[in-house]
Amino acid sequence: MADASSICKSDFCNAGWAEVLTHMSPYGFANFGVAFGLGLSIVGAAWGIWLTGSSLVGAAVKAPRIRSKNLISVIFCEATAIYGVIMAIILTNKIKEPELADSYLSANWDFNGFYYAGYGMFSAGLSVGLTNIASGVSVGIAGSSCAIADAQDASLFVKILIVEIFASALGIFGIIVGIIQSNACTFPVAAL
Amino acid sequence: MPTAPPKGATGDLTTFNVFHGFPEALVRGMRSSFLTDADYHHLTQCETVDDVRLNLSESDYSSALADMAVMTPASLQKAAIEKLVTEFKYLRSQAVEPLSTFLDFVTYEYMIENVMLLLKGALSGRDINELIAQCHPLGMFKESTMRSIPTFENSAKGYADLYQTVLVDTPVGPYFAMFLQESAEHRGDSRNVLEEVEIEIIKSSLIKYWLEDFAQFVEKLGGDTASIMGDLLKVRADTNAINITLNSFGTPLNEPAMRASDRKRLYPAVGHLYPVGSTMLVDVANEEELGRVLELFPQYKAIWNIHASGQGDISIDDAFYERDVQTLELAFESQFHFAVFYAYVKLKEQEIRNLVWISECILQQQKDEISKFVPVFSFHSPWREKKRS
Repeated sequence: MADASSICKSDFCNAGWAEVLTHMSPYGFANFGVAFGLGLSIVGAAWGIWLTGSSLVGAAVKAPRIRSKNLISVIFCEATAIYGVIMAIILTNKIKEPELADSYLSANWDFNGFYYAGYGMFSAGLSVGLTNIASGVSVGIAGSSCAIADAQDASLFVKILIVEIFASALGIFGIIVGIIQSNACTFPVAAL
Repeated sequence: MPTAPPKGATGDLTTFNVFHGFPEALVRGMRSSFLTDADYHHLTQCETVDDVRLNLSESDYSSALADMAVMTPASLQKAAIEKLVTEFKYLRSQAVEPLSTFLDFVTYEYMIENVMLLLKGALSGRDINELIAQCHPLGMFKESTMRSIPTFENSAKGYADLYQTVLVDTPVGPYFAMFLQESAEHRGDSRNVLEEVEIEIIKSSLIKYWLEDFAQFVEKLGGDTASIMGDLLKVRADTNAINITLNSFGTPLNEPAMRASDRKRLYPAVGHLYPVGSTMLVDVANEEELGRVLELFPQYKAIWNIHASGQGDISIDDAFYERDVQTLELAFESQFHFAVFYAYVKLKEQEIRNLVWISECILQQQKDEISKFVPVFSFHSPWREKKRS
């Protein structure tokens, strides 16, 4: 811990992490929410696609008939990225520029709503991003097994596809909760 | 141990496919090329070897047999092994570390066998070209290396020269060095040790070092590979230990002094039998005592009972083959590990043994013997039948 002499007494000093976070602009939080929601969803989708894709290509060498059918697994992974894009569009539309002439916020500005919107959109983006990573990876693993199983026995394809649908549903849970989370988030545009 | 730790990791469920997804899916695709129960049924109905060929033309073997003038069991075996080797080399060319080292490990076994075949052939004064033709294509060295192996004399000095000039550059060199070193330490006289050691003992020691090295490598890979492949190697090591003991009966190796000094050194330091079982095996002097030791290990008790009862003329080798097929098939039950590559090679070898057996039986008109083979991935395997009933 810092000793007494090094503690800053001025009003303009940084008083710790709580202040670091509150001093970040809610617009910044909201935009980071968009970035995480989209970015992590796409990480999940890409992860799933290479898990599936490498197995699909390998298994198709001996059983070429599986190649078009198993593109469904790749599409399921892709859907994960689309959830991220949908969420990113919803969140981006909620970020509104304030109608202020100068760069200072007036005293009767709705600070509660302002911070609520920033944190809410950040969390909504993160919820969507993290669930989509989990969803993308699990769809990818199921898709990889699906390609290999289908190459051996075509009747297994539909059965494993159902497993994949459930894995894909994980991403939908994320986006539903994300939308609800961000629903009440509205950036104030003018002072009250 | 000679082999360096694996470069890179196998990866787990979520990362295995980065480097090894394609080769793994390839080998699993190749699994569909195994002959089915229906194929075997048709093959056993054949009257002539040409019928066998006709039946195989529907299978994955068709292109391998296409340009063969007259099919004999020997030429069928050669073509089938060649096909397996082509597939294996394709997999090897697609592999990156650490899978490539893993696949190399699989080939070392054949290299050891080839070196021993060449040395043994040279002892009986056979033609070098004929010997090289007999070598397993998976364990081939460079042509010049192959030709120079049988030129060394069968003495301690000859083997030391063989190691220093030829084998030191090959992957099996370190095993040979370990063997030379151990026999030198053991007897205390490095010059005269090897003369009386039979080729089979050298081979058993080299295989033992290979197994231990491989087991350690697999252990370092970790994950599912370590557990599944580790188990396959353990089973393999136990089979070797039991076979070494069984084959030593009636040979000088079974003399009380040799048992503790020489036979003991041939038991691999891996396996379910190690260390308790292999310590007990040291004192075994005859089949009865061997049976008493194996009685303590449930997984080998059943196999031993097949051998001991002597009925149904199923040899212990057949019992081991059946057990091997059962354990190797299990490697295909889970994904994202390396053991499938080893299992694929071994199961294909079993299939080739089956094909040779069937065509030999047809050639020699031994129809009642024809069904004595172990089909691979058969729906009617005893262990599957048991599960269904």
